[in-house]
Amino acid sequence: MSNIFKLKLSALGHPNPETFNCEDEKEYRSVVLWLEDQKIRHYKIEEREGLRNIDDDAWISAYNTYQNDLVSPVTEGTPNEQLNWLLSYAVRLEYADNAEKYKEAKYEQPKQAAPNVVTSNPLDNLDFDCPAFKAGVERICTLAGVGPHLDPKFRLAALAKILNTKPHPDPPTTEANIIQQPADVLKLLFVQDLRELQTTINEALVAVQTVTADPRTDTKLGRVGR
Amino acid sequence: MVVRQYNEELKYLEKINPYCWKIKKGFQPNMNVEGVFYVNSTLEKLMLDELKNSCRPGMTGGFLPGVKQIANVAALPGIVGRSVGLPDVHSGYGFAIGNMAAFDMSDPTSIVSPGGVGFDINCGVRLLRTNLHEKDIKPIKEQLTQSLFDHIPVGVGSKGIIPMNARDLEEALEMGMDWSLREGYVWAEDKEHCEEYGRMLNADPSKVSLRSKKRGLPQLGTLGAGNHYAEIQVVDEVYDKYAAGKMGIDRIGQVCVMIHSGSRGFGHQVATDALVQMEKAMKRDQIETNDRQLACARIHSVEGQDYLKAMAAAANFAWVNRSSMTFLTRQAFAKQFKMAPDDLDMHLIYDVSHNIAKIEEHVVDGKVKTLLVHRKGSTRAFPPNHPLIPVDYQLTGQPVLIGGTMGTCSYVLTGTHQGMTETFGSTCHGAGRALSRAKSRRNLDYKDVLSKLEDLGISIRVASPKLVMEEAPESYKNVTDVVNTCHAAGISKKTFKLRPIAVIKG
Repeated sequence: MSNIFKLKLSALGHPNPETFNCEDEKEYRSVVLWLEDQKIRHYKIEEREGLRNIDDDAWISAYNTYQNDLVSPVTEGTPNEQLNWLLSYAVRLEYADNAEKYKEAKYEQPKQAAPNVVTSNPLDNLDFDCPAFKAGVERICTLAGVGPHLDPKFRLAALAKILNTKPHPDPPTTEANIIQQPADVLKLLFVQDLRELQTTINEALVAVQTVTADPRTDTKLGRVGR
Repeated sequence: MVVRQYNEELKYLEKINPYCWKIKKGFQPNMNVEGVFYVNSTLEKLMLDELKNSCRPGMTGGFLPGVKQIANVAALPGIVGRSVGLPDVHSGYGFAIGNMAAFDMSDPTSIVSPGGVGFDINCGVRLLRTNLHEKDIKPIKEQLTQSLFDHIPVGVGSKGIIPMNARDLEEALEMGMDWSLREGYVWAEDKEHCEEYGRMLNADPSKVSLRSKKRGLPQLGTLGAGNHYAEIQVVDEVYDKYAAGKMGIDRIGQVCVMIHSGSRGFGHQVATDALVQMEKAMKRDQIETNDRQLACARIHSVEGQDYLKAMAAAANFAWVNRSSMTFLTRQAFAKQFKMAPDDLDMHLIYDVSHNIAKIEEHVVDGKVKTLLVHRKGSTRAFPPNHPLIPVDYQLTGQPVLIGGTMGTCSYVLTGTHQGMTETFGSTCHGAGRALSRAKSRRNLDYKDVLSKLEDLGISIRVASPKLVMEEAPESYKNVTDVVNTCHAAGISKKTFKLRPIAVIKG
């Protein structure tokens, strides 16, 4: 929870979001007061007296009234939930004041360390509605024995499934040995399992690479020999 | 060495089929098993001529011919099966280059020999595919070649452009390609398509001398000199459409990049250090060999274990090296085409090691045995369904990358079941030298070699043009003969052929 508070407080421009401790009664109360004073401004200045007396026991009842006045949905919740709602409400108000400005904001992707991060999938640019695509799917589906369906994409998915589960060459035309054939089937199933395992391994390696990889070159070091 | 007339020598050799010769016991002293070598009629003539030359009076003391070296290896303690010479065999240090031999791990006298691995530990070839076509490359071929040359430092004494300190090196030696992966120089899929997944687990950097590390550190990410190269190639001919398809090769003219490099000065120093240790071990354990160059130690001795751990570290070095160059190649292409390497589909097809010793399980005389398999100038070629090959190649067999000589062509083969039983799943590694370096320098002119490449439309960037004749096609056996022999003998199967359009080398 404290992490969320930290994020929201720094977004709102609180002077010390890093050190804020929501468990400390006093800090909690001063943040509530700060929110009303600086951001929410629901009351007139003189009406904020009840919230201003941070050390007073009557503060709790003033806080409850304040929440009811704001129509908070979490008046029954824990203090942390209540504060979280207040913070979100303040952020919402802040955004509404300057909606145009925040709309322009761009989220910057953290730079990935792994090489070759640019990937483009040519399939992304495929036009699934063009007649050439439909004709192509029709042709390959006839070859693979995929039945008709209105949506060519649906048929393509079926085709992919078939190709994935049949990674083997054409079966031999000669009469196969009665023992050889089941053995071959087992081998093919094994190869398929192995491929899946290897793919999982590769994915794990790539995931680790995003953390560890930092390939560098320094052309100044290079020297061509004799 | 036994000195006999050529005719006498021939009595120990027997042609068992059009592509295979047997070397009978007695050809060299103390042979524990027979030898065998694979040749077609052209290569057979080269082999026998070499033997004939060495039989001429006054020829003792020079290079041992390849056949003799194969036989000497057959005399090493603990060897099982046969000492195998592949079609590209030529004489090397101790073991011939293009020789494979397996030693029984359960036999306490079995040995490991640095000469059976070679000085360039885990020298190997990797092949990247692209989705480009030859015509896409043509307009910017010169710029692309230059860009590759600028990214990948070549030549003797070259230094890499990937910043590394001593601690990085220690980690890289232990982790191999996992280091490159962690640092983000390669893709997860690269590891999947690399022999041993790019990491020898028994590597121990503490068994490597400081001198090796000092030599190795600045050289990471450099190609080196000699026969090493990076080539832009195009698919020229497809023999096995299904297997090629599994490798992502679907049309003639598709562009690939081949990188041939090893562990640079690092591996060389590891081998040199080990040889000194092994000479002591040989005296202590009274190991006798036919050739002083066959220095070795028992696998389970301290020296043997230390060498295997240091060798594994050197192997990891080579994988990091080739991975770094893969990264630089992808960068060079991405810059020229202004596209992400992902979008250029620059996936690793495979990465093979052709100078290495590995512990593997094989069936010998109907029993499963754990063997230490030395492959020197020989590529592993495991058959379909072998558990140690990537899932994508389970149905085709392991891809075998055969780098040709500068300006000729390269091949991709796949492993076969027959190769598994006949040669412990091994096949050839390249063209194999026909003329010595010195001889090629004497006989050829570097200007002729360069202009010939130009006539073929091949862009070339070299650090030392004056040494280019050492690597001229004329200095090598014909790679097509070599590959066809492996295919015909059934120890591996042709998949497709590549033709270079740009070369960078030391």
